[in-house]
Amino acid sequence: MSAPDRLSRDELARALGLRPSGIERLIQLGLLDPAPEFEVTTVVRLRRVLRLRGDLGVNLVGAAIIVDLVDRLDRLERDRP
Amino acid sequence: MAVKFRDYYEVLGVARTASADEIKRAYRKLARKLHPDLAPAAERAEATKRFQEINEANEVLSDPEKRAKYDALGENWKNGQEFTPPPGTGGWQRVEFDDFEDLGGFSDFFASMFGRAAPGAGRGRAGRRGGVRMEMPGNDVEAELPVTVDELLQGSKRRIQMSDGRNIDVEIPRGSREGTALRLAGQGGPGFGGGPAGDLYLHLRLAPDARYRASGDDLDMDLPLQPWQAVLGDQVRIETPDGAVKLTVPPGTQSGTRLRLRGRGLPRGGGARGDLHAVARIVVPEHPSEAERRAYEALRQAADGKAGA
Repeated sequence: MSAPDRLSRDELARALGLRPSGIERLIQLGLLDPAPEFEVTTVVRLRRVLRLRGDLGVNLVGAAIIVDLVDRLDRLERDRP
Repeated sequence: MAVKFRDYYEVLGVARTASADEIKRAYRKLARKLHPDLAPAAERAEATKRFQEINEANEVLSDPEKRAKYDALGENWKNGQEFTPPPGTGGWQRVEFDDFEDLGGFSDFFASMFGRAAPGAGRGRAGRRGGVRMEMPGNDVEAELPVTVDELLQGSKRRIQMSDGRNIDVEIPRGSREGTALRLAGQGGPGFGGGPAGDLYLHLRLAPDARYRASGDDLDMDLPLQPWQAVLGDQVRIETPDGAVKLTVPPGTQSGTRLRLRGRGLPRGGGARGDLHAVARIVVPEHPSEAERRAYEALRQAADGKAGA
C-alpha cells in the first residue's frame, strides 16, 4: 500500500482542513498555483503555512514567507561544509 | 495508571499566581520561539515535543475551569513525580509510534486529569475546541522516516511498526527526493465517533552514511590516493551508489580536489540526479618499506630543497 503521488483539489482541501473557498483564497494570494492535481510537497508546505497562522496568528502571506525563509536557512546550514 | 506529574507553571515559566494575561503573554512568547515549523528540519521533532508541552500547559492554565481543577490537586506536586489521578477522571490510551513521536497528542498526565484532548487541539486544525462534537476526524500525524541513499535511488518497501499494534507498509518510490514527504491517507490517528482517520505524512530524511556525505542533491565521498597516484595520475575503480566505475585521476591532483561524476548523486526529482564528488585525500605510508624510503629520499634530492612550510 502506498501513498498516491498527487492529490485532486478536493483531496487537497480535505488534507488542509479547508473548504473549497479556502483553496480559492490560497490561489488568489499566489500561495498555490491553480492546477487539477497537487504534489504532496505542496500539501506539506501549505500545512506548515496554515499551522503558523493557526498557532501564532501570522497572516497567510507572512506565514508563506516564513516557510520559505526557514527552508532557505535549512539549505544553507545543510550545505555548509 | 500512574503518570508523571507536570508542572504547567514551570513549563510556561510563570508564577502560580500569574494572571490570565501573564499566562497568555508567556505562552505566546514561547510559541513564537519554539514553534516546530520555525525550527530547522533536523530539530523539528525535538521542537515539536517542547511545543506540545507548552500547548498542553496553556490549554490547562488558560482555561479557568481546568486551571482550578489543576490547582486544587497540583500544589504539593513536583514536576516528574509519579502521579496517580484521583478516581473518576478516567484514563485514556494515547496512540503512539514506536519510532516516531505522535505530533498531535497531549501527555498521559493531561489525559488522566481532563480526559482525551480534542483531536488537533493546539495544532490549528479547523473545528478545534468546538465544544461537544460527536464526530471527530483523527489527528494528522507527521513523522520522519530515515532512508538510505540506496532506498532513494532504487525505491524500497518498508514495514513500520506502531505501538498500537498496527503495521504499516510503506513504499518509497524509486527516485524519491530527500526532504520530500509521502502521504498515507487514513493512516494517521484514528477518528472518533465514526469520524475518518487522519493522514500520516512521512518525511524522507537521509540517514547518516558511512560512505557518502550529502550536500543538497550532491554526494561527496572520500577518494584515498597514494602520493604517486596524485602526482602521476592514475585510473582507479571506485564504488558508487550505481556500482563500480572507473575514474581518471589527472596528474597533479591536489588533496581536496573534487572529481565530479555527473548525475551520480541523489535524485532531484523528475528523473534528474545531482552529482557525485570523489574528494581526493592523499594518504602517506605510515610505515614505508625500505625500498619506499629510498625512493622518497631520492625524491627529496630531486625536489632540490622545495619544501613546504
